[in-house]
Amino acid sequence: MTGTPAITVTEPGALLEVRNLVQEFVLRDYGGVKGGVLQAVSDVSFDLSAGETLGIVGETGSGKSTLARSVIQAPPPKHGSVIFQGQDLVGLSHRAMKPVRRDLQMVFQDPFTSLDPKWTVSRIVAEPLVAYAIGSRADRRERVNSLLDLVGLDPASYGRRHPRELSGGQAQRVAIARALVLEPKLILCDEPVSSLDVLVQAQVLNLFEKLRSELSLSYLFIAHDLAMVRQVSDRVAVMYLGKLCEIGPVRDIYRRPLHPYTLALLDSIPNPEPAAGNREADHVISGELPSPLNPPSGCRFRTRCPRAQDLCATQTPQLRPLGVDGHLVACHFPLSGASPAPAGSQSDAEPAAVKR
Amino acid sequence: MAAPVASLALGVPEADPAAPQRRSRGRGLLRSLEITIPGAILLVLLFFCFIWPLVYPVPSPTSGSVLDANLPLWSPGHIFGTTNVGYDNMARILYGGRTTFEVAAAVQAIGLVVGGLLGVIAGYAGGIVEAVLMRVLDVFIAFPSLVLILAIVDGLGQSELHVIWALSAFSIPAVARVARAGTLRLRDQPFVVAARLSSVRSWRIISGHIVPNLMPQLFTFSLLGTGIIIILESGLDFLGYGIPDPAPSWGGMIAYGQTVMSVALSPLVVPSLFLFGTVVCLNLVGDGLRNRWGVR
Amino acid sequence: MADPLLEVSGLRVRFRSRGSVVHAVQGIDFTVEPGQTLAIIGESGSGKTVSAYALMGLLPPTAQVSGSIRFKGVEVVGLGERELQDHRGRNAAMVFQNPERSLNPTMKVGNQITEAVRRHLPLSREQAHQRAVELLRMVRIPAAERRFHEYPHQLSGGMRQRVIIAIALACEPALLIADEATTALDVTTQAQIMNLLLDLQQELGTALLMISHDLALAASYAEEVMVMYAGRFVERAPAADLFGNVRMPYTRALLDAIPRTDLEPHVLLPVIGGRPPDLSTVVPGCAFAPRCPDAQPDCREQAPALEQHGMGHWWACWHPCGKEAAS
Repeated sequence: MTGTPAITVTEPGALLEVRNLVQEFVLRDYGGVKGGVLQAVSDVSFDLSAGETLGIVGETGSGKSTLARSVIQAPPPKHGSVIFQGQDLVGLSHRAMKPVRRDLQMVFQDPFTSLDPKWTVSRIVAEPLVAYAIGSRADRRERVNSLLDLVGLDPASYGRRHPRELSGGQAQRVAIARALVLEPKLILCDEPVSSLDVLVQAQVLNLFEKLRSELSLSYLFIAHDLAMVRQVSDRVAVMYLGKLCEIGPVRDIYRRPLHPYTLALLDSIPNPEPAAGNREADHVISGELPSPLNPPSGCRFRTRCPRAQDLCATQTPQLRPLGVDGHLVACHFPLSGASPAPAGSQSDAEPAAVKR
Repeated sequence: MAAPVASLALGVPEADPAAPQRRSRGRGLLRSLEITIPGAILLVLLFFCFIWPLVYPVPSPTSGSVLDANLPLWSPGHIFGTTNVGYDNMARILYGGRTTFEVAAAVQAIGLVVGGLLGVIAGYAGGIVEAVLMRVLDVFIAFPSLVLILAIVDGLGQSELHVIWALSAFSIPAVARVARAGTLRLRDQPFVVAARLSSVRSWRIISGHIVPNLMPQLFTFSLLGTGIIIILESGLDFLGYGIPDPAPSWGGMIAYGQTVMSVALSPLVVPSLFLFGTVVCLNLVGDGLRNRWGVR
Repeated sequence: MADPLLEVSGLRVRFRSRGSVVHAVQGIDFTVEPGQTLAIIGESGSGKTVSAYALMGLLPPTAQVSGSIRFKGVEVVGLGERELQDHRGRNAAMVFQNPERSLNPTMKVGNQITEAVRRHLPLSREQAHQRAVELLRMVRIPAAERRFHEYPHQLSGGMRQRVIIAIALACEPALLIADEATTALDVTTQAQIMNLLLDLQQELGTALLMISHDLALAASYAEEVMVMYAGRFVERAPAADLFGNVRMPYTRALLDAIPRTDLEPHVLLPVIGGRPPDLSTVVPGCAFAPRCPDAQPDCREQAPALEQHGMGHWWACWHPCGKEAAS
């Protein structure tokens, strides 16, 4: 599949270039019979530059976590390419991936299942160093201690503890320290603060920020919450049912969302300012998420979109640039006033009135 | 403005001077009566079977004078009486118990090591390796246990060592199954994925991550299975296929006791009580540990 | 003036475990008027869920409850199990966080509603069925008749939560308690469910007590917000007042920690360190003092009481934050 021609590579040799990524899961009945194919990620393409943070936002079934797993090849995607530092990771053997993994690491959502409950904190953070046979034992200890300091944990009191003796925030810091120990260039963060309490979330988000600037890291930051992702991102991508709806610079996405789903997500964020008047939000979307096994034809969001027209059912919208440089949207009737009519559509028809 | 707040934002290490209070695990363990009492009984039994004869002149279980035959319980010098050829029953209980525990320990050790290894490899490798290993083990599991064991002992000939082999053929597949199931569950845990992401070699993942997390489950499974092993072993002895005469065994003593049941009850009841008590204590300890460790 | 629906005074809950006593709730007072929407906000360990369970009589036997909970004048603390079962469902109903865990996976959805209905109301099977379908429609589940016969796994998370709400409302309780009812849901679904709850409130005149850690959510949907820390209320105000006029530093910290869409990205959030205190020891002085950026020596000596200052705005602080406009 040739895929979308519309993506313009921002600069040659971006740190990560994902092209036409497809990930499928075959569902089997109890007899082993093929019950259906779930396309969790469907033709997703984007770039990530060095030093940049790309936030990926999506709700249940959006495919964002699957996307992250596909990037690290665990398991490898069905189709498409993942070009990291100029090298396509898809198809690389487990052994050939070894040097790549030094530069590409991941932080998981639940720190208590991503840390071995039987290991001590120091041993957990040192594990990657041992696997790559880096340094002597003394060197490793030093490096582990400096990393624990960096994430705000005193090595003397925390080094010997087990994960169950830590709070959620502390455990996540350990996971972050482990991800940093090989000095990676890109870290995939899969909902890293979702399981934490509010104040702790803020602490850990700040930690991500600080590390980013001190160590010149790039992040692929996955979250279900647009508000949280905004704090840490340079660009944001919005996913729905396996497809990218919209991607663009963070300020632009929030001030001038182009895709109806993005607008709905923004409107669903509870706003503590009393003047905001949440109850008047017209853009709360109705309906239920369609089954990912049988997604709607054409635009997958059309069953819940207040602007849907016949075209949306017959033609899948492709990501194309609109508005500010670097802002792309996949919608036949995006929210911007002046939308170039896609070829073959009814001429500039007014989209249906926005309704609840 | 918000200066004091902002200065606390970062660079302040987690303030947690007191480690969370945790009683040392050992002390907590001793508090569970359901483990300590049966455990103590087992320890006492083990002491008497293995250590006591080394320090106290216990009469030989396989020699004695016919003049002392068929003495009843509580006879002076023979607390549990004697057999029809004058062997001291107490000694037979102790030495028979020794055999029982030796066989049980050996079989469980073999089961844990071999079965555990096979199960973990099958679970971790998946694919054809798993399929082949599991099907081979399924063949063994398909046989009714006693039939399988009898067949093996019959084929190999009677001796304590052959009994151990035969019983291992039973325990290895059982442990392997549990090990494989546990490995499958652990393999998908994020901490294993994280280890693979750090290019940790497979054997290191197995030895460092999978096995330590699997041990509580395997250990309690083995402990609970020991009761079954002991009963099977005694069953073999009872049927005359196990430890060959005149070496004492609880099963053999029960078989003899059954023949003289109408005349005297103690030759049947005494070894039965020991067998029953041992198995119950093992099960209680196994259950207690399983509850404490939260193993499913 | 109508009598209050619920009057809680001096509620304390203690758990005895392995020799130590955990003071989960340390004396809270509040009232709920009929039809009112209230929120109790706190992090984990603040005691908010324990309080909600106490209102419903759902605490385990290891909990020692003291104080008073009067529902329409009837005391709930100390009631036997049978009276409590009556109280639950008729007077007050609760919606929990995980819809998966609250529904029986082997029972049809409709039957779970009729079961709740028939426990409290003397209806025939036919009538109960009708009521169940009516309830499914009321919670805006499309094709209600058909959905009656479906099993929980056939429904999405949002739909399951609607079913739970339907069950909770089966006997038209006067009070609905939503304990983190939308935490496990997607943001868009959360908005749908919250709007549903508010609409239902208006239709049925039910009072709603939201328990949550999400201050923004509470502020958007509740009339009055009570902030809980270490087993006590530390600030309480009408939602509209709270955000322009925060006084207690803990509430300030909670507000500051919310990533807001109007802030610049890459800016560090103002945040405080430390963790909530261990509730097995009761220290003199304000429980928040160890973490409070404005703490003074007198804060550590004596715990401030929750006092009313200004119109309906209560706080418990010796040195509240000044009148800085949140911006």
